[in-house]
Amino acid sequence: MSILYDEGQQAIATESRRVLEARVSKDELLPLLEMTGRYHEGFWNTAKEQGWTALALPEQYGGLALGLVELGLIAHQAGRTLSGAPFLTSGFGCAKAIELYGSDEQKARWLPGLASGEIVGAVAFASGSDPLPAYPAIRFADGRISGRAAGVTGGIVADIAVIYAMGALGPLLVVAELSDVERSAIGSFDNSRCYAHLGFTDIPAQPLAIDGAAREAALHILALQAVITAHEQTGGAEAMMEIARDYALTRRAFGQVIGAFQSVKHRIAELYGLVELARANCIHAASREGAPDFIVAAASARLSATEAYDTAARDGIQIHGGIGVTWEAGLHLHMRRARSLAIEQGNGLFWEDILVDCLTGEAA
Amino acid sequence: MSNLEAYRARAAAWLESMVPAFGKAARKGLSEADDLALARRYQAAKFESGYAGINWPVEYGGQGLGHLEKVTFDSEEMKHGFPNAYFGISLGMPVPILMQFGEDKAFVKERVLKALRGEEIWCQLFSEPAGGSDLAGLRTKAEPDGNGWKINGQKVWTSWAQYSDYGVIVVRTDPNVPKHKGLTYFWVDMKAPGVTVRPIRLAGGDSHVNEVFFDDVKVDDDQRMSPVGGGFAVAMATLMIERYVATDSGGFGPHLDLFVELAKATLVNGKPAIADGRIRQQIARNYAMRNGLNSITARAMAMMQAGMVPGPEGSLNKLVSVRSRQKLSELAIDLRGSDGFAFDDHASQKEDWTSSWINAPTGRIAGGADEMLLNTIAEKILGLPQDHRPDKGVPFNQIPA
Repeated sequence: MSILYDEGQQAIATESRRVLEARVSKDELLPLLEMTGRYHEGFWNTAKEQGWTALALPEQYGGLALGLVELGLIAHQAGRTLSGAPFLTSGFGCAKAIELYGSDEQKARWLPGLASGEIVGAVAFASGSDPLPAYPAIRFADGRISGRAAGVTGGIVADIAVIYAMGALGPLLVVAELSDVERSAIGSFDNSRCYAHLGFTDIPAQPLAIDGAAREAALHILALQAVITAHEQTGGAEAMMEIARDYALTRRAFGQVIGAFQSVKHRIAELYGLVELARANCIHAASREGAPDFIVAAASARLSATEAYDTAARDGIQIHGGIGVTWEAGLHLHMRRARSLAIEQGNGLFWEDILVDCLTGEAA
Repeated sequence: MSNLEAYRARAAAWLESMVPAFGKAARKGLSEADDLALARRYQAAKFESGYAGINWPVEYGGQGLGHLEKVTFDSEEMKHGFPNAYFGISLGMPVPILMQFGEDKAFVKERVLKALRGEEIWCQLFSEPAGGSDLAGLRTKAEPDGNGWKINGQKVWTSWAQYSDYGVIVVRTDPNVPKHKGLTYFWVDMKAPGVTVRPIRLAGGDSHVNEVFFDDVKVDDDQRMSPVGGGFAVAMATLMIERYVATDSGGFGPHLDLFVELAKATLVNGKPAIADGRIRQQIARNYAMRNGLNSITARAMAMMQAGMVPGPEGSLNKLVSVRSRQKLSELAIDLRGSDGFAFDDHASQKEDWTSSWINAPTGRIAGGADEMLLNTIAEKILGLPQDHRPDKGVPFNQIPA
């Protein structure tokens, strides 16, 4: 896979940016912060209408058979404009788990709906602070699961989830419909992510066929999602850097634009460096799907994108001074999103350990 | 295999064959004079085998290939510790600029061939005590003298001047105009009467840079390489030649593998350092940073292969890699505790953390200080304004001291 975008890929980037800039605005996103369980319907409808939900899924199930590179480009633009719902990434992870590890019957049952976006998918691997626990808190026996999945992204809305559960012989991945699940919505600092704890009591669930390598499979799904999220983070960081740059070019103090002060211009130049490192890592990781070093590449992308977005949010607001901390300016939308995306798909501590385990030759 | 990969394979095989005669082991324990003699033989071997002047015109003795082949060769060559540093500046900037701006083609051709064979070395006389980052603030002056010129003043930080046969120099020929407009560019004979070279010992103990004094040094007008007053443009052209160079995401310090090995072999509070979260975090973050830089470089190479111009993000390499290397070297010394006191001033900074650490500040200053690189990114890439410059538009001799 080339690390240079071809014409088709560049067109995806341009078109998705155009559509999202026209349809998602700060003024619509701000009220969502104060409503638990609501997301930006215009964003999600756009994702479905544009075929983004189908982008990286196989043609035989209604997909477009493109890959991480293309979905990453969409995610980058979604990050720039602050995507209004988490389902593109959560549904992608759910669908990939079914595509890679499910039976033909399972694929036929769920993939077409996930591809069209009619079914909202989620991924529930974490237990508390552990993104991929050695002993999953949810138990699987006799075709049913019981237990609690903590902080599931999109959990308030999702129709189905792929869950990391404990079976008789060890961890395994199962897929379950969520219609009879007890959902407790989390009042969050970034409410449009629709986080919820999911309580399962004897909920029917189907194991995905995995030959004794559930952890490896779950890590692979997390890594695929992490690469998409890293693109989204990089897009957010890039937008924040540009907002800070534009402000520094217009705001005047002490007789000149503040961008002429090195304390300000160097801060922005440092953001540029972080954004470009993250972007390069993202492009590289997207091109490594299927390669032996994919996990390392995904971890690198994830770590550098988290650092870029957190720093861009922090410094971008700082450069604005007082106006930067107002509700109305909306810069806190990026600050909030930088943190919510930093936790979804495994936090930085998790990916640091995964990366070092890979480098030292220990099983990740 | 692409043509470039085939080229890389050929170059790698040739370099491998040079290791016994010129590699790290062959250089161990040599005096600098003997090392320089070895270096000249290595450079001659490169010339004979078609690996000198890779992207230079054939009519000057080069190979007529592209930047890609040069960068490919350089990144392979970097792996072995060959004695090529003495010619790094010479073949990097002064000699290419001589090819571009030298008027006397026969003279130029003779110099270029001798430089390519390692027989002659050129230096670049830009920085001065009063102007490093602020190049156009230089004070060394050239005044008309008969049919030629007479140079007086001092240069500093001149790499390998002590071994140089020639140099390119920027001097002030008119102090009555704003600073950029009063400069002129010449080549000089470093053996000419009035040129004095005095090596400067750096913090790590070595002396590859020098002070160079000019006392009534006479140069002919045909040594002039720019219009009178047009020297700044040629100076900028000189600095632009090295746009496409082999980079090292390790900041020309040790590879991250060496840090991982050290962490595996070291105990912290009785437990392996490689299991310590503080150490693991630094490994992970340094890896991600270096992987990002490597990806930027790989993308630039791919763009060049596709006939495109690489993006400006390549300018991040030195800024990001060297300061990271500095911090990682500190941590590596820390890890070793009291075993870390030992210092071998001949150790390679690519293999030894202490040598890497003590030489790291030089890397953050030479070839553009971190702060200048940040200014360049802010101004040229992001469109932010220049700093307030009180000397702007003011005749040089009226700039407040």
